[in-house]
Amino acid sequence: MSESATPARDAELREALAGLRREIRSRFASEPETASAAPSRQRRADAPRFDLSRLEKPLRSIRQRAATLGMREHAHETDDFGMDPEAVEALRPWLDRLYDRYWRVEVEGLEALPEGPLLLVANRSGLLPWDGLMIAHAVERARGARPRFAVADWLMAQPFAQPRLARIGAVRACPENALRLLRSGRSVVAFPEGARGATKPFRERYRVQRFGRGGAVRVALEGGAPLVPVGVVGAEEAHPILYKATGPARALGLPFLPVTPSFPWFGPLGALPLPTKWRIHFGEPFALGQLRPDALGDELLLSRLSDELRVCVQELVDEALRARPSVWG
Amino acid sequence: MASLRSSEPAVVAVTGPMGEPGGALAARLAARGVRVLALGPERPESLAAEVEFRPLDLLEPAAHERLAELCSKEGVEAIAHTAFRSEPTPDRELDRELDVIGSLHVMNACAAAKVARLVVASSTLVYGPWPDNPNFLDEEHPLRGHPEAHAVQDRIEVEHELERFRARHPGVEVSVLRCPWVLGPRSDTSVSRYFSLPVVPVPMGYDPLLQLLHEDDRVDAFEAALLGGPAGVYNVVAPGVLPLSTLLRLAGQRSLPLPAALLDRLAYIPSRSRTGDPPAAFYDYLRHLWVADGSRGWEALGTPSYSTKETWMSFVSARRMRRYR
Repeated sequence: MSESATPARDAELREALAGLRREIRSRFASEPETASAAPSRQRRADAPRFDLSRLEKPLRSIRQRAATLGMREHAHETDDFGMDPEAVEALRPWLDRLYDRYWRVEVEGLEALPEGPLLLVANRSGLLPWDGLMIAHAVERARGARPRFAVADWLMAQPFAQPRLARIGAVRACPENALRLLRSGRSVVAFPEGARGATKPFRERYRVQRFGRGGAVRVALEGGAPLVPVGVVGAEEAHPILYKATGPARALGLPFLPVTPSFPWFGPLGALPLPTKWRIHFGEPFALGQLRPDALGDELLLSRLSDELRVCVQELVDEALRARPSVWG
Repeated sequence: MASLRSSEPAVVAVTGPMGEPGGALAARLAARGVRVLALGPERPESLAAEVEFRPLDLLEPAAHERLAELCSKEGVEAIAHTAFRSEPTPDRELDRELDVIGSLHVMNACAAAKVARLVVASSTLVYGPWPDNPNFLDEEHPLRGHPEAHAVQDRIEVEHELERFRARHPGVEVSVLRCPWVLGPRSDTSVSRYFSLPVVPVPMGYDPLLQLLHEDDRVDAFEAALLGGPAGVYNVVAPGVLPLSTLLRLAGQRSLPLPAALLDRLAYIPSRSRTGDPPAAFYDYLRHLWVADGSRGWEALGTPSYSTKETWMSFVSARRMRRYR
């Protein structure tokens, strides 16, 4: 561009900016300019008593609500797994309240965990992923980085639940996702019991079920991350399941519809968890680094390790149960 | 860009020059000094002047013989096969004839004329939107497609044929480039029209992460694959993912969430203008994940210059410019 063209272009730009400013003002009329505020108030005094324009703002907000029904109001950027840091921040006060006051979570063994990404393996309890949220919260408080937690397929496929869960750090439970997270330096909370863990009867609530096909050990080996057993106590009693209704659940794509002392009798309110006392015990990490490099092909070794891991989680659960004076703490 | 081998092909044939990747690719190669033969039923007006045109109708039963003859006579060393329906039409049989049988013609001609390299356009739509997909699908993931999307099922068939072809003719280097939804200033597809609706209907209760590719980056990837990038199957996708709601917010567009069952009924809306195929499958692609892992493709063919967000902004701003012109 030549030198002489610059002033003309500057003027053009200035005019374009002024035009933009005018347009912005006209769109956000709810914040009137100071200069025009006084005359408009005067006009309102001699206007008819019922002014339709006064309805405009609430109507607009209703329209906006309706247009974004089923989606989060904010549209911030997410990371590659759909976690939205701002959604997590917005939720944090609630998580803190649940963690400190409602469930009074007590944590043990967290200080001894090594640096870097971890694969945390815990016992699964209940249908809703409260346990994953609380473990992630405990780890985040101690170490700063927030681990992702695995959520079963059937829940991650539910409309409305899926986008919200993803925004606060849930990922679909599958080895591919866990491996990718570990390789990119992020910790993962996994529940290898899977559906068996969520559907066990109340009286066996703290008996850890068989661990899938050894996927957790395989992922930890491949991802080169320490495998940390975790025992959670309290989450089971937060939703004591009296009866499992399987018939109506099938239509919704759920493994079963829980009948608890409060659900479905009190409607959605009954889905609120009870204020039980929680303990989360973190065990010593498995030293997978000492294994032979060809251990990945050794199915027998993997299943033995997997069972050992299950025993570790069971021991941590028992230990936590002994440490807890009662269900309500 | 990955380092390209020294033996760049001197003569390249491009099928489907009237389509989006084909025409731009032919122009790009010609500008680079490669001799390009565009093959199609008739010369498209938009085709760059430097590009030579040879008539070839892949719907003809003897198309493979004509193509093989042409390749040996002109000394074609590489073929970019991009002659696919850019979107399904109501005529399923004709779509299949062009997409599947047309591809078979090209493969047969490659084998007969000993063409050294074949690059075929595919799509990450072939993975299909499934609730049990992992967040990132790599090239080995089974191609499950969508049972109701016949164009996608045809592409899967083409991929299986290509696999068989690769086993039978190890002398031909085959590359398959799977691209997600491609957008950009030039794009005029059912997807770009859907995203340009004044009010965008979206499935209620879902907000999947989406992945895009800029049209220029697609041309770049084809160029790299033709001119000596390592052969293989690659996901060619832009880095980064964004939720559907964020895309619409960035564009300042209003969305209308509707129950998924209702949307499938209303599915003719976005495609009413051109196609009669009810893209019931389309809304499933807005419900579940089908994001591909592009790392292998980036390493082999170079990293795209536009991220998913930049692709979207390029598409949106071009559209805005058109509206105000």
